[in-house]
Amino acid sequence: MRLERWFYSIPLRFRSLFRRNAVEHELDEELQFHLEQKTQHYVASGMTPEDARRRALRDIDGIELRKEECRDARRVSRIEDLAQDLRFSARTLRKTPGFTAAAVLTLALGIGANAAIFSVVNAVLLRSLPYPNSEQLLTLHSNQSLPDLEDIQKQTNSFAAIGGLTIQALDFTGQGDPVQIYGGLCNAEFFDALGFRPVIGRTISPVEDAYGGPSLVALTQGFWKRYFGGDAAILGKSIRLSGNSYTVIGVLPREFWMPGRPVDVLASLRVVSPLAAKSRGVHFLHTYFRLKPAISLARANVEMGNVDQWLALHYPEENTDNHRHLLPLRDAIVGDVRPELLVLFAAVGLVLLIACVNFASLQLARSATRQREIAIRTALGAPSWRLIRQMLTESVFLSLLGGVAGLVLAGLGVRLLMALKPAGLPRIADTSIDASVLSFTFALSLLTGIVFGLVPALSTTFFGLNAKLKEDTRTTAGGSSGYRLRKFLVVSEIALALILLISAGLMIRSFALLHRVDPGFRTENILTMRVELPEARYREQTKQRQFHREFLEALNAIPGAQAALVSELPMSGDYITHNFVIEGRPPLPAGREPEVQTRTVEGGYFRVMGIPLLAGRDFGSQDRTGSLHVVVVNRAFVAQYFPGQNPVGARVQWARSDPPDWMTIVGVVGDIKHFGPSEPEEPAVYDLYSQTAQQWKRWMYPTIRGAASAGILLEQVKQHLWAIDNQLPVTQVFTMNEVVAASLDHQRFNLTLLGIFAGVALALAVIGIYGVMSYAITQRTSEIGIRVALGAQQRDVLWMILGQGLRLTLLGGTLGIAASFVLTRYMSHLLFGITARDPRTFVFIPFALLAVALLACYVPARRAMSVDPMVALRYE
Amino acid sequence: MSRPSDLVQGTLDLLLLKILTLEPLNGFAISLRLKQVSGDILQVSDGSLYPALHKLEQEGWIKAEWRASENNRRAKFYSLTRMGRRQLEREADNWNRLSAAISHVIKMEEA
Repeated sequence: MRLERWFYSIPLRFRSLFRRNAVEHELDEELQFHLEQKTQHYVASGMTPEDARRRALRDIDGIELRKEECRDARRVSRIEDLAQDLRFSARTLRKTPGFTAAAVLTLALGIGANAAIFSVVNAVLLRSLPYPNSEQLLTLHSNQSLPDLEDIQKQTNSFAAIGGLTIQALDFTGQGDPVQIYGGLCNAEFFDALGFRPVIGRTISPVEDAYGGPSLVALTQGFWKRYFGGDAAILGKSIRLSGNSYTVIGVLPREFWMPGRPVDVLASLRVVSPLAAKSRGVHFLHTYFRLKPAISLARANVEMGNVDQWLALHYPEENTDNHRHLLPLRDAIVGDVRPELLVLFAAVGLVLLIACVNFASLQLARSATRQREIAIRTALGAPSWRLIRQMLTESVFLSLLGGVAGLVLAGLGVRLLMALKPAGLPRIADTSIDASVLSFTFALSLLTGIVFGLVPALSTTFFGLNAKLKEDTRTTAGGSSGYRLRKFLVVSEIALALILLISAGLMIRSFALLHRVDPGFRTENILTMRVELPEARYREQTKQRQFHREFLEALNAIPGAQAALVSELPMSGDYITHNFVIEGRPPLPAGREPEVQTRTVEGGYFRVMGIPLLAGRDFGSQDRTGSLHVVVVNRAFVAQYFPGQNPVGARVQWARSDPPDWMTIVGVVGDIKHFGPSEPEEPAVYDLYSQTAQQWKRWMYPTIRGAASAGILLEQVKQHLWAIDNQLPVTQVFTMNEVVAASLDHQRFNLTLLGIFAGVALALAVIGIYGVMSYAITQRTSEIGIRVALGAQQRDVLWMILGQGLRLTLLGGTLGIAASFVLTRYMSHLLFGITARDPRTFVFIPFALLAVALLACYVPARRAMSVDPMVALRYE
Repeated sequence: MSRPSDLVQGTLDLLLLKILTLEPLNGFAISLRLKQVSGDILQVSDGSLYPALHKLEQEGWIKAEWRASENNRRAKFYSLTRMGRRQLEREADNWNRLSAAISHVIKMEEA
């Protein structure tokens, strides 16, 4: 029924709207036809043609009025009104290009910045993961071992599939230079858990995912395209990875993606690393749990609690203090960055608020100049709601223009963000201006236009008008409500800007402090890279050690170079810990032994890195394979385990070493900032590649201090490396300075953005205060003229104006400081070395703002000083 | 500005729909026909006829098309739609009930 009605009425309305001329013409023709017929009718009954015509016209009782009624019946007048308002807006805005440009630009800045940050928030926090039904995907906080995962699968009922994945560097050879790629070692259920079907071929089946199973590999889309040009004939062929061959059985879809972890190929963990797969103590698998439909997270966690107890009972050594807690995979991926992104989002929201305040203030200033026009329109009978609607239309029109310009800015902004992109923000690479960003921007623009257009519109029509008509003959000192409103707007603008400035100030102080932190090692002129020895050719430690020796000899032979090896480079994010026991201390239950950072070095590492020796001796040439097993500990280790004692000569060993392998502490070195400048050092034990029993430590970071530039040095290092073994890829080539700088990427990102926001906020606030002071002075020109005529000095005038600006600034500043006191604690997790109420920042920044604000008042005040009383008094 | 026998509120729609059940007519013909069939008692003013027709068209009860009139002039002819026919039934029922009730009241014997 309703539908049938639309069937008739919608085409009619469209016709009425868009074919207005045709419709008007038809209406005219219809009524003319009627008139002619009626005239003929009267003529037929004996009237003269003139009388008949007159009579016919009288019958219809005003032809234009009838037409209007017919148009009303077509019910499009409301839309036509809007079109009229829009046309009128466009015309008035064109007439004041300065105002229009200022308003659009102000809003574009605010809206654009918001759209840019929103697109990041959208990509990182809001958009769902690119897996089918990704809301069913959960993960555990802690990594798991494969035997534990198998037991969890057996003991629970909530999960459709449980996947485990670890990523390992592999050498891919046979395609030119050896390259390092990343292999995802997983179980067969991993594919079911994530829900991906291969685009060609198949994935690893549960039967093949077994100890001693076939060597199979599935390729990711990127790897397939990069090395095989997307050739489907790759299926069934073999590729060589770290010295072994694997048969390609399938290619994964492009959407396959591991958060923050590049993966090139996927293979069965049981096939590739049977030893690690069997070990219950090696917790190295990232987990992917897919919930069965209609099972809640809470229920799954209850089951997980029961599994915890079961595992602790049956495998106490590997399962002490294990609190397995499931959380949505997406939360786990974005968890850390949520608060800082929200701080940025709040900051950019403040920028928009300031932009809006400026916008409202601009509109107020303009409506002051339009009051005569408004008064006339009112006098001519325009209802005040119609005037308000007109002004609102104008304001929304402007804000939508601002939104469009803002989108352009946002596009640039997103590119800037990408250039700044910190490696630590997951999924940021997916940032784009998509439908949700567009709708966000549109909604924001609309809201801005309505809310911040309403205030000036209401204030001019309701409050301003009567006063205006009365006061118009003489402009007196800033009495109008519009001016009072503008003062209020400026005060709030200053307060908002101050919040942002203080936040940025806190970040800058933190960043400066972070930069000043002594990392505990030398960073200049040190080149590092990562080299990993493939298991196939370097399984035996004798081969590894031979490589270490030859490599170091070759490196040290480079003129002016000093080289060493280390297993975990400072600030690279890598670390390995071991449980250990100290000789002579009471034994602890298995699994409860203390943990230390373990780093393996070779070849004068402490000398190359400039890490000071505090007690005992450094490793020396006497420490070789087979000689006394020695270690060096750091200061944090001594402070924790040998407080007030000399640890040199004491013996430690890794917990549950079999056979016992006691290591003698021979020296103590200084602490380094291994985890980045803001993190404290942990107790650490350094041992030697030539003495360690850990044959799986096949990777190393050469650290080379050289006289030559990094580029030349790198070429020399590669030459020497490939002279020893031309199958070894070199990755992660950085100078130590770059490594340290990269560890601050995150802070730099936050700082840069907050800095930009604060700068924009300051600029807007200054424009705001400048605008309101200029306006005040034009309003007070005659008053100033009288004062000067009565003998006021230029200085008095200057102080009068400055005093007025100062009052506004002080009021806004006080409010801003108070608000900052409350708000900055939400960013304390972003700060380093200072509290969220750092007194220096809270004193310095407001004074700086005060100075800038006074400068903004000084320019119009200068103009006031030069007021000529005669001109001013005639001005009216 | 005399409007002879002003139509009861809302009955104009009913009359226009009813008149159009027989054949498509133009506006002028509608006003003539109405006068004829009501024996000169009901007459719709030319002023209110056209807005009413446009409203009915907008509602989807009648539709308009341009064709030649008797004297070969282009004229806008209105005809009833399916929805209009249903609407007419509804309004006629209402009217019958209302007029029956009113005449019932009027014929009531004075006590």
